[in-house]
Amino acid sequence: MSKHRSYKAEKFLERLGQKLNRQMVGSLVACVHCGMCTEACHYVLANPDDPTYAPAYKADRLRKIFKRHFDWTGRIFPWWVGGKSIFTDEELEELKDIVFGKCTNCRRCSINCPMGVDFATYNRMTRGLLVSVGIMPEGVAVVSKDQWEIGNQMGVLKEDYIDTLEWMSDELQLELEDDTAIIPIDKMNCEVVYSINPREVKYDPRTIADAAKIFHNAGENWTMPSEGWDMTNFGLFSGDDALGGAVARRLYEKVSELKGRKLVISECGHGYRSTRCEGPNWAGMDIDFEMESSVITMLRYIREGRIKVDKTRNTTPVTFHDSCNNARSCGLFEEPRELLELVVTDWREMYPNRAENYCCTGGGGAMSMSEYTPNRLKSAKVKADQLTATGAEIVVTSCHNCVDGLTDVIRHYKLGMEVSQLVNLVANALIIPEKKVIVEVPAVEEVVKEPVLKGYKILVVDDEPDILTFFSSVLEDNGAEVLEALDGDTAVELALKEKPDLMTLDLNMPGKDGGKVFEELRNNPATAGIKVCIITGRPELRRLIYDRPVTPPEGYLDKPVDEDTLMLNVRKILELA
Amino acid sequence: MAQFAWEEISIEVDEDGFMQEPDEWSERVALALASTEGVSELTDEHWKLVNYLREYYQKFGIAPMIRKLCKETGFPLKKVYELFPSGPAKGACKVAGLAKPTGCV
Repeated sequence: MSKHRSYKAEKFLERLGQKLNRQMVGSLVACVHCGMCTEACHYVLANPDDPTYAPAYKADRLRKIFKRHFDWTGRIFPWWVGGKSIFTDEELEELKDIVFGKCTNCRRCSINCPMGVDFATYNRMTRGLLVSVGIMPEGVAVVSKDQWEIGNQMGVLKEDYIDTLEWMSDELQLELEDDTAIIPIDKMNCEVVYSINPREVKYDPRTIADAAKIFHNAGENWTMPSEGWDMTNFGLFSGDDALGGAVARRLYEKVSELKGRKLVISECGHGYRSTRCEGPNWAGMDIDFEMESSVITMLRYIREGRIKVDKTRNTTPVTFHDSCNNARSCGLFEEPRELLELVVTDWREMYPNRAENYCCTGGGGAMSMSEYTPNRLKSAKVKADQLTATGAEIVVTSCHNCVDGLTDVIRHYKLGMEVSQLVNLVANALIIPEKKVIVEVPAVEEVVKEPVLKGYKILVVDDEPDILTFFSSVLEDNGAEVLEALDGDTAVELALKEKPDLMTLDLNMPGKDGGKVFEELRNNPATAGIKVCIITGRPELRRLIYDRPVTPPEGYLDKPVDEDTLMLNVRKILELA
Repeated sequence: MAQFAWEEISIEVDEDGFMQEPDEWSERVALALASTEGVSELTDEHWKLVNYLREYYQKFGIAPMIRKLCKETGFPLKKVYELFPSGPAKGACKVAGLAKPTGCV
């Protein structure tokens, strides 16, 4: 008797087949269940009584499915080799809790496997398969959506990003009393294009100011891009290679456009790995510039004599935590130590270290999945013991994710330590040459702000006159030129004739409905470029829209929509274009 | 979901200690949450910051950029970290009753 399989389980299996390559199959068949990985995993070490944390056990959840459907032994004798299929959405949810909640993809088991099984790599693949059928922790969904739609993982708008850079620029000029100490934006032909983590611009721009101080003092010809500046990549965590490629491509294309010679990546482990190591494959691009971690850039500046440092300014005992992505996946572990030697007086090694260091326990996107926090903190016992044994008061790490992961561990286990990054220590140790002339800061002129939507043409389509009038007046008040259509045919006609920058589109309309209008416009080269924001009272139709064989809409809002939501979304779509 | 209790206060929080029901927020709740962020007393300056965060969150549904926070309250960046040692994202937002910020923080 054949058992019914859910739509999602069906798709999962189909896509698993498409994902299998030699490396993946090698990892799936090579495991001999020797148990070496068990001792390598911090989850197991902190939960010795729970066998479900063992990497080989976790791996078997996918291996069973692989054997049942793709390995010849399991296709013929499933009962003999432990082959087992997957049928229900509940089973997929259980798989989700394992691959997202019981593994941070830190790869410590991978490098300790005598058979070369890279569990973390196919844990990531399994995440990707689940994401492709819409099963993922909410936090991952929210962040991925922001990275897809807004272009960075914290939904920072372009003008806010630039405003923050200008703010840091002003602060730097005041601090150094030097009006040439600025953060150049979109400067062409620079030696260095500097990319950051949105966390820096949204919540803690001190690292931007510190980096700017270092670049300025090194006399670097550098710039920060106005777009594509997010070097983090949730595609690495979610296993979604398409997202990984889209995010990486934005950054690469911007650096190429600016004709930058070197892309410098601020201290972020997964960002470094995604941008420098994995990104070119996901994006399918040839890269015509170099890429470098800012750790190496800072070390170079000191060695080349471009900046001078005084290590006696950093005397508090320090230890160094290796980020998994930097150390295990990218081999970046000697340079941060060499840099520490130069900028602090007392630094102690942590054991084990380098590629064998334990995960901060917040890796693999774990910081964005609150539902697993209690397990994460319990498993952090290993890290807490490691930190305590150093006797240091500050733990330094070259990864923003580790900064937050370690901060949580320190608080949970009451370790009383601080977390810092190399950029902060280097900036603090920096010797600023004496200035001879003090430049007067000119008064800032009052800027009259233009209406934010000035110059944009927007077509509003809705069969309810009240809503039409409401949307139109909001958009007009903000400076847009507005066209109105009460039905689908008029909408298509106006779109063809007027070529608006954006259209807001209702789905349920008499005559030609919004879905048809959308597909028709997308399929016509003359109107394919018009940005579309679907605004509907029937959110369940979302799937029908996204399943259409055309580029998905730039925005999708559920009614009722208030003024702020409308403006926020319209601006997001137009300003990110 | 977890329950957080402090003196007479009992509220629902997520696994990272952020409020689940923003409507349950009160000044006493803020004080309770502050105790988990190493802040034992809320001064006028703390309130200025917390109130701005709440107003912004109620209007836009997200936490403001640190730039906006500093501009509107007039506090320099350093001051924000003095008031809330665990920073604006985890410390100040939590006390103001916001949901956990999204992304790797």
